[in-house]
This record gives sequence, structure tokens and C-alpha cells, in this order.
Amino acid sequence: MSAYYEFKLPAKILSGAGALEHIPHELEGLGARRPLLLSDQGLEQVGTVKVVQAALRQGGMEAAETFCHIPPDSSIEVVNQIASLYRQTKCDSLIALGGGSVIDTAKGVGMVLAQAGSDLLDSAGCEVLPRGEHVPFVAVPTTAGTGSEATMVAVVSNPAVQVKMEFLSYHLLPDVAVLDPRMTETLPPRITASTGFDALVHAIEAATCLQRNPVSDSFAEKAIQQIVRALPLAVKNGKDKKARMAMANGSLLAGAAFSNSMVGLVHAIGHALGGVCHVAHGDAMTILLPAVMEYNLDKCRGRYGELLLYVAGPEVYAATPEDQRPQKTIDTLVALRQQLAEQTGLPTTLSQTGRVKKEDFEAVARTALNDGAIIVNPAEANFDEIIGILKEVWA
Amino acid sequence: MAYGSAKMCLQCATCSMVSTCLFRALKFLSCRDSRVKQESCQWPKGKTLRLEIPGAKGFTVTGTEEGFRKLPQDTPGDVTIRFKSPDDAFRVFTGQIGIAQAYAQHRFTLRGNMGLAMPFVRCVDITEGYLFPWVLARRILKRRPKKEVSTARVYLAVLFGR
Repeated sequence: MSAYYEFKLPAKILSGAGALEHIPHELEGLGARRPLLLSDQGLEQVGTVKVVQAALRQGGMEAAETFCHIPPDSSIEVVNQIASLYRQTKCDSLIALGGGSVIDTAKGVGMVLAQAGSDLLDSAGCEVLPRGEHVPFVAVPTTAGTGSEATMVAVVSNPAVQVKMEFLSYHLLPDVAVLDPRMTETLPPRITASTGFDALVHAIEAATCLQRNPVSDSFAEKAIQQIVRALPLAVKNGKDKKARMAMANGSLLAGAAFSNSMVGLVHAIGHALGGVCHVAHGDAMTILLPAVMEYNLDKCRGRYGELLLYVAGPEVYAATPEDQRPQKTIDTLVALRQQLAEQTGLPTTLSQTGRVKKEDFEAVARTALNDGAIIVNPAEANFDEIIGILKEVWA
Repeated sequence: MAYGSAKMCLQCATCSMVSTCLFRALKFLSCRDSRVKQESCQWPKGKTLRLEIPGAKGFTVTGTEEGFRKLPQDTPGDVTIRFKSPDDAFRVFTGQIGIAQAYAQHRFTLRGNMGLAMPFVRCVDITEGYLFPWVLARRILKRRPKKEVSTARVYLAVLFGR
């Protein structure tokens, strides 16, 4: 556990039925009346954007502008384009409605605006930016996965160099995170499984990497407990509001945990697979987690053993001899992944994604080595070892 | 107060001295250790990394095929690593914590593309494996880097600057 730590608690959280209708009140409290609503085309088509617009109207507020063209892997160009739109339409706040890509794009836009800049690349780095001008920011996640509504991290693609760039600043945290059951109930089982596993990986890496601390541990452990129980239920029945809310809360808890303790090798390789081969982030996490846990096992034996309590519950924990708990934790997660794969067709190997070729391994390994997440992974990993992991999860 | 500033002066002086030693070792190893040499050769052309220590002498480096090269003190860095205080730098330069722990403990800020800083971090880890005895290095490195040249030669390079 880190000898010195810093922890910033997440945004104000509005969680539960009717949370959307409270957005106007929150924005007014932040001195804003003309929000720019950001989302993607998928959410516009299924009517989720309209639900939020209606909720705003109930509070006597209209979005000054709505932009629904954020792609799944948003880029620096998109961020800069939206920052220009914000200025042209004289908006005074941001509402991000979507998954990680939309929320991270909004964070990037907020950063450009706060620094009175025009290019997100000028803001790259870790804890370097002053707060700048405050841009009120409400995040409404529509997946229970990225936890981006509670993190100081934004991941945005830089297509010029085929890299997903990480931006870290406490000023990236939204002012308000809105968890409303209406936002995730239309999520298809396959995406529910993939994004849910992403949240689980956040919690597990947050609970085991070098930057973990007592506060992040408590967030991560609760997140693991919530997610392993609720994820199969949410996948089985998307209308199960209780399971959906448990997933939304679990994802937020995991986000708050990893925002303050960071993630490790699963994410370093996962970001590289996204940047080089365009593998969906949740799929990459699902494929990589068990192999990386095995890789880290020698360094994390004790911690993995402790996590069995949250992964499998008290009965299994008590019935498992201490020396077998670490492996049991990994085996339980593999079984959960297999169950989800059978239910939804979630890929469990790289070859199943159809996006990766073996010839890509070297580029992926090189990119992963330069990903910041690798620093806090408990075990060192070099080029050959990352290639080894990629081969292991190939088929 | 007087004790506080004397302590800070001592820390700054130590950091200045160790940062010079670190660069000399890094420069030497970038010609003699295959891993450091490879990182230096593959360094993006013309990109610079600056290490800043409040109150002490840092340095700006770039990687070339001939090894790491120090640039004039006022050269801006494409990536700048800045320790938040002399005490934070002192902890790293005296082997109390490693780069990974310093990152985890928010001891420095990083301006620019983190991807460019990673090769430098790997080189520093390898260099620390030479400079610190394993009894000290084991606390700050995740694993012991294999030595490709003798530690005595690295120390000589540090002492004589070549």
C-alpha cells in the first residue's frame, strides 16, 4: 500500500429514480443556464437524448445546443471541434450523456475551455494544469463501465500516432454525476457484459496496484462486491432496475477508486489494443484480466487472497484454505467471464475479436510499454513479457 | 526555521549532485548497456525531456544514436517532469523511493505526452540498478535489472564524467 496518498472524493452524486430531473437545479446552483448537451448517434436514435431533454424542460431549462456526433473512440480533433462549437453558441456549461467516450470527450472540451485554449494537446500531462475558468459539468453515464463520471482521467485518441492519450487532472472531475436507472435499461446484454467487466477490472486493478490506499481500497472492495453480484442479473434481465442501479453504483465506486489509485497492466495493454487494433475497451479488459492476474500473482498473492471475500462471498472465502484463495479469486473471475460469454457472446480471446492479427503484437507491446498505467502495476513487464501475455490470450 | 532552511539547502545540494551523477551514468550506459542504448536510439528525433527540481539543478536531455545528450539548461522540454518540492526529489535521488513510488505518491507533475517519459523512466530504473546496491535498490525497483557492464565502470564514468 502506498506510504503517502492523495484522494479526491468524486463529484456530487445524484443516484436513483428521478435523478435526471434534478439536473436543472444543479446547473442553476453552479450559475449555468445554457448547457451544451453532448452525446452520440446511438443514444439519439434510441431516444435517450430526448429523455434528458425532457427532464431539462421539466426543470425549466433547455439545452442551448445539442451535439450527437461523438464517435466510439473520440479523438483530439472532435474535442477541439466541440470547444469551438461551445464558444460559437455561447454555452455556459456541459452535460455529457453517454459512455466513456462521450464523458471523456466532455472532459477534454472542459479542459480546453478552462485553459482558454484551442487544442487539447496543449493540456497533455499529469497534474500540471491550474483549474482555469470553471466550466460547470454534469456527467450522465449510459453504461455502467468506465466510471468516468467519478474519475480525474480522460482517455482520448490521437489518431496521428495511433495512441490513446491519457490526461490526468483533479480539475477533470465533473461537478455532478447523475445515475438514473432509465439511462442504462436499454443497454443490450452484450454491451452490459463488456462494460460491466471493464468496471470490475477498474476495481480489481485499483485494489492491487502500487498506488492503492485505504480509501481507494474501501471503494474498490465495495465495487467488486456490487458488480460480481449484479452483473449477471443485469445481463440476464436488462429491465431489472435494482441490478442496473447496483451496476451504476458499482461502476462509480470503481471509478472513484481507480481515479485515486490508478490502474495497471490490464489497462496498459488494453489501451494499446484499442489504439493499434481498435479493440473495444471492455472487450480488451475482459480478455486480459485473468492472464494479467496470473502474471501479477507472485506480487499480489496476499491481496488476491483478500479479494476472494468480495469476489466469491463469505461462505466461499471461509471454506477456502488461505494458500488457495489467490488462485480461487482468479478462477472465480474466469468462471464469471465464461458465464457472461455463454450468455452474450463476449469474446474471451483476442482472435475472437476479429480485429487483431498476430503481426500486430509487436506494435501493441511497444505501445503498452509507453502507457502510463504500466508504472503502477505491481510487477514489472518488459516487451517480451507483454508479447507472452498477448500470445497467451490469443486463442 | 533555520533548521528547516538548512535541511532544504542540504537536500537541494544533494539533488543537484545526484542529478549530475545520474545523467553521467545514464550517458555512459546509453553507450554500453544494450537496453539503455536501444531506448536512446529509438528516442523520437529532436524530442526533449526536462527534469526540474525546485531549488536545485535539473537537466534537459534528448536521445540520439550516440546516446543520451544533455542540452543547455534553459532548453524547454517536450515533456517536463517537475518534483513538487526539494524533499520529494531528495527521496527519489537518495533511493528512499523509486520512480514508480514517486508517481504513485504524487511527488511530481508531468507536462506533455506521458508516452515520451516512459522510455526515460525505464532507463532510470536500469541506471539505479547499477548505482544502488541491491539491498537498497530492492525497495525501489520491481525487479533487479541484469547488469551488462560492471558497476565499477559506471562509478568511474560518474566520477570522471565520461
